[in-house]
Amino acid sequence: MSLTHAPDLALNIQNLTAGYPDNVVLQDVSWQVKRGTLAAIIGPNGGGKSTLIKTAVGLLTPFSWTTMELLGQSPKNGRRQVAYLPQQEEVDWGFPITVLDVVMQGRLVKQGLWGRSTKADYAASHEALDFFGLERYKHTQVGSLSGGQRQRVFLARALVQEADLILLDEPSTGLDAKAQHELADLFKVLSEQGKTIVAATHDLNCLTACFDHVLALDGHVLVDGTPEEVLTEANMVKLFARHFPKIGSAGEVTLHEH
Amino acid sequence: MNIDLLFEPFQYGFMVRAFLGTGLVAIVAAAVGTFVVLKGLAFMGDAISHTAFTGIALALILGISVYIGALFFAVVTALGVVLLTRVSNVKNDTALAILFTGVFAFGIVLLSGTPGFGGDLNSLLLGSVMAIQAKEILLLASVAVLLGLILAVFFRRFVLVSFDPVGAEAAGFPVAFVQSLLLMVIAVAIVISIQAVGVILVVALLITPAATASLLTKNLKALILLASGFGLLSSCVGLYISYFFGAPPGATVVLVATVFFGVALGIQKLRRA
Repeated sequence: MSLTHAPDLALNIQNLTAGYPDNVVLQDVSWQVKRGTLAAIIGPNGGGKSTLIKTAVGLLTPFSWTTMELLGQSPKNGRRQVAYLPQQEEVDWGFPITVLDVVMQGRLVKQGLWGRSTKADYAASHEALDFFGLERYKHTQVGSLSGGQRQRVFLARALVQEADLILLDEPSTGLDAKAQHELADLFKVLSEQGKTIVAATHDLNCLTACFDHVLALDGHVLVDGTPEEVLTEANMVKLFARHFPKIGSAGEVTLHEH
Repeated sequence: MNIDLLFEPFQYGFMVRAFLGTGLVAIVAAAVGTFVVLKGLAFMGDAISHTAFTGIALALILGISVYIGALFFAVVTALGVVLLTRVSNVKNDTALAILFTGVFAFGIVLLSGTPGFGGDLNSLLLGSVMAIQAKEILLLASVAVLLGLILAVFFRRFVLVSFDPVGAEAAGFPVAFVQSLLLMVIAVAIVISIQAVGVILVVALLITPAATASLLTKNLKALILLASGFGLLSSCVGLYISYFFGAPPGATVVLVATVFFGVALGIQKLRRA
């Protein structure tokens, strides 16, 4: 199935058509993300940001594709080094689980069905907690933390899992400006360690500051490149205009033609 | 109160067996039920217990072991539900409710229409723990130990697929297998609890002690221990009440468990106030 085998790519998707039964969301999407990149997916609601991420990590079965590689491997093998952070509202924050137990799950998903936790696993977890400034919350129930801290718990888990590709669905939702900036800083640190970050986001504010690769997606690839290349006025009008009504000089309201 | 009254039931062999049998299944059902409560799977417990009834009815008529009949139907139901939710991606509880009540009704018609089995209907619906035999207790004990072992060995994996099945699946963890194993543990726990409290009330043995415990602690291990404790206590107190007041034991056990829940709810409200 694979046309090219590219180990320097964290994500290699060619000619992907995907979505839900009776609802094709993505048409013929091709996208490559280099290892160590901070990549953002932007676009209107229903444009397929989540669909692309969920399909990449195997949560949705695509309709057709020519290439699908994670970290230069087949999705099945690559997924072991992939961490997916769902949208905040998809997590059951009332679940009685401590911060340390969540982070330790990073080792569990690596182990699979069998295997016991070793001292090294606990050491790795404590190290990750320390790294994200969460050590003193280790016995706290995860849901009682703030939004920014919850994100860091899941990033710590990804670190413990030794994930090289981290995909996040709307990570900045529910975070205040300070927490958003802290998260962006963490992304940078992680990418300097060689991790690849792919985030679906509706927040266009810090794109130029935080990301080095942006994909504008509206069912198909509108444009793909550096933030400067993508975030032009013309592109943004194309990407979002049809979702806003146009008010004419006589006050008439029309919708943009697509 | 005369202390002799406390020991009075134990002069009868059937009461000793009832205490042992009910206590055992109550502990296991409550521990397993913790996951049922956390995942909001109560309706599935209902489905399993109702189809298990029809499995028992068929087994009685065919003359095979009721446990095998119940187990077969319970496991098929549990796996069927997994398949249903995975395929359609929605909680299809309407379809499930129609299906399991239909199967249940079929079991009742089957059993009441077969001469000689009318009496079994009542004991199946309401439990018959007073009639439990020593060898059945041995069976219950073995199964209870087995379930406890599976729960202990797979505990953190059961927690993983309950808390974050999506993240685990994305990382290539065998989520479907572990979820199916958990559902089978739930199914078996229901089957071994049916004799104690009957088909109609068995879901209460599964969820009420766990729900009670979840009001009092946010620590998962403490929650499971507390749930098992409430399960055991409810079964003991319930059996005493049944013995002294002549009420059906399944009903008194569940009633006591429900009272504990009410008290815990009150304590939680007072704490927050």
